[in-house]
Amino acid sequence: MSFLSYAWDWLKQPAQWHGPDGIPVRILEQLGYTALALLIAALIAIPLGILIGHTGRGAVAVVQLANAWRAIPTLGLLVLLAVTLGFSPLAWLIPLVVLGIPPILVNTYEGVAGVEPEFKDAARGMGMTSWQQIRKVEVPVASPLIILGLRTGAIFVVATATIAAYIGLGGLGRYIIDGLATNNYGEVAGGAALVVLLALAVQFLFVGVRRLAVPAGLRQQARQT
Amino acid sequence: MDWSQVPQLIWENAYLGIVPALIGLVIAVPLGIVCVRWKWLYPPVLSVTSVLYALPSLALFIVLIPYTGLTDTTVIIPLTLFSLCVLVPNVVDGLRSVPEPVRQAATAMGFGTLRRLVQVELPVAVPIVIAGLRVAVVSSISLASVGQLIGVSSLGYLIVDGYQRDFLTEILVGGGLIIALALVCDLLLVLVRRLLTPWRPRRTRRKLPEVVAEPVPVLAGGAR
Amino acid sequence: MITFEGVTKRYPGGTLAVDDLNLEVPDGQTMVLVGPSGCGKTTTLRMINRLIDPTSGRILLDGQDIQQSDPPTLRRGIGYVIQQAGLFPHRTIEDNIGTVPVLIGWGKSKARDRARELMRLVGLDDSLARRYPYQLSGGQQQRVGVARALAADPPVLLMDEPFSAVDPIVRATLQDELLRLQAELHKTIVLVTHDVEEAIKVGDQVAIFRPGGRIAQVDSPERLLTAPADSYVESFLGFDRGIRRLSFLAASGLNLDDTAVISASMPAWEAAEQARRTGEPWLLVTGPDQQPRGWVASDGLRSLPREATAGDAKLSPYGHTFGVSTDSLRAALDATLLSPAGRAVGVDDQGRVVGVTSYERLGAAVEAAGPASDPDADRNAAAAGAAGVAGAAPEASPTGTG
Repeated sequence: MSFLSYAWDWLKQPAQWHGPDGIPVRILEQLGYTALALLIAALIAIPLGILIGHTGRGAVAVVQLANAWRAIPTLGLLVLLAVTLGFSPLAWLIPLVVLGIPPILVNTYEGVAGVEPEFKDAARGMGMTSWQQIRKVEVPVASPLIILGLRTGAIFVVATATIAAYIGLGGLGRYIIDGLATNNYGEVAGGAALVVLLALAVQFLFVGVRRLAVPAGLRQQARQT
Repeated sequence: MDWSQVPQLIWENAYLGIVPALIGLVIAVPLGIVCVRWKWLYPPVLSVTSVLYALPSLALFIVLIPYTGLTDTTVIIPLTLFSLCVLVPNVVDGLRSVPEPVRQAATAMGFGTLRRLVQVELPVAVPIVIAGLRVAVVSSISLASVGQLIGVSSLGYLIVDGYQRDFLTEILVGGGLIIALALVCDLLLVLVRRLLTPWRPRRTRRKLPEVVAEPVPVLAGGAR
Repeated sequence: MITFEGVTKRYPGGTLAVDDLNLEVPDGQTMVLVGPSGCGKTTTLRMINRLIDPTSGRILLDGQDIQQSDPPTLRRGIGYVIQQAGLFPHRTIEDNIGTVPVLIGWGKSKARDRARELMRLVGLDDSLARRYPYQLSGGQQQRVGVARALAADPPVLLMDEPFSAVDPIVRATLQDELLRLQAELHKTIVLVTHDVEEAIKVGDQVAIFRPGGRIAQVDSPERLLTAPADSYVESFLGFDRGIRRLSFLAASGLNLDDTAVISASMPAWEAAEQARRTGEPWLLVTGPDQQPRGWVASDGLRSLPREATAGDAKLSPYGHTFGVSTDSLRAALDATLLSPAGRAVGVDDQGRVVGVTSYERLGAAVEAAGPASDPDADRNAAAAGAAGVAGAAPEASPTGTG
């Protein structure tokens, strides 16, 4: 049987759609974890990225980070924290945030640092304070990249949240892990299919966010490159 | 703890990390060349790769199980696809980084298109391509450990076993070795780059080492 | 010989880059294509090695239509030098230079030997051979570009603004190098530049383009300066045309004065006599090798003791010299202007004094060379003449007012 038939057979069972282990619940859980982790990661990474991009200090560290963080094994981090912290929510929250920060940080930094010097010059020349420069010039110009960073961060957070089911987290990963444990490939396939759909949905969501948040002129300019 | 298996696990993880990156490279180079030659192909190719890149690795492993079982291949195929997502933009950027006067001079001297590609454009593109290869290899080595959840053996075994037995040391060893393996391979690739490109200034004009972009999601217009 | 027959290049959008061009580039000479931006000179150049193909018309290379050759083969027989050199960053200098030889089948070591030969020819030190382009300065890279173009000894060399990207001092040096190379190699060179001074300096023939891809005038630099075809050419050549024309008149045409020249060993009283006889206030003192030493004031000679020679007197610097056989009237004029006494020293190839100029002698030489023409003046004169004729007796113009 093919993947799709396994998945479909499982998904079409009405029982899957009810109760605390039902699909709607799990979807909301996954979205919830993702949103929370992304929010926290953004709250840390965006200001940090702006600061480093604006002042230029610590830029080298950012670049080293950008190349090194991919080496961190997701499963290893989750398991490590689960063993040391026990049942605390931090056991899954910390890895989700930690793996979401680097893309947001790097892209924000690049966005702000990459604002052309002419713009920064003009802003300074007009008498804007540092803070005003950041708010009125650098962040708007960097916004496409900041959003790209969030979008990329979302990719990693969704993936990590899926794996985090292994250490007991809810969400769609639950179906995969439980199904593997009970040799129920239907459940495994159903879970995987849902994860794929959710991941895509999140990406499309960000496309919409970009349309809303990025000034039209920048969007057009970016499209041409 | 049974240390005797560790070398075998290291080898398996290295295999699962490097092979996808290399296959990805073999596919990405011709694909990138095609995307540079026929520019209109690039946006659709990017759209496809950015969709693929967004999918969690575990899910992709599972999708393949009915077809390739619980074997190495089930892990290698998705990791190859991820590597492709990183490498195609790098090949394209690398080829585009060849300065126009250089390309023009080659044509004017009587280089045919293929010869120019092989003897001039690809060699100049090497640094950027290797930058992408580094990301591909490091990511693959790390992601390979997730395959342990479907029983495909790698250093992830130490992590899973350590979790089941509540054995912190084993977990740390597993995670640490994965990171170490990834960094060693990264360094090796930097060395390869140094060997292949003696023509680049040691201290590059840019003060910072290059940051490789994430594969650009171009669903309806990317930011870069 | 390169021949353009009715060549036109029209781009799809409608832009006419080159309009019915007819031009002959003689063998072994430097033809410079010059004109404002967008006048079609670069397009014309790039049609020769088929980087661009004409919309209509043909281009012949030694009698053969270049459309009949397949482009890569054609290009391997034509050297091409561009503004930013375009050196392959990933190859050493010697391998860069040896590119075309290797391409046409020479062995690597033969190509490298040839590369070293060319490096010497263009004035590059051997130690640079194994370096990479990023290690060379802009001027050095341009030289490598020229060496690379010459490597397979092509009969034709195309140069597209080759010296525009370097600073003026380096540019002047490279232009001189080009003249030296050409004197040795006698290639057929087609060079594009927007700098009319460069065109005049390096060109044997200069083609001045109008905007819109047509040629206004093709001539030697001297004839261009002497007789511009119309006011467009004249204004393109720029002001100072009359003076610049003097660069083309040889200083050997000057009638130099040697009566004011004395040897340092001449007794002072004899020198003073000569000064009184010729009426010269200053005499030029030369050494035993006939090299100039300095000027001595005639009054100063009389106040010297009896046994003194002219060389013992207080000498003033002899100032600027010019080469009688190598320099132009313009150089002689320049040297004379710079001399406080209005006298410049003419020397031969070994530096020995031949004679001294003066403003009168310079004026005589210029007059003898004949006047330059002024297109506007000619036109006005013609108009005035016609008007005069019309106003005068009707028999001058059979059809009445003209």
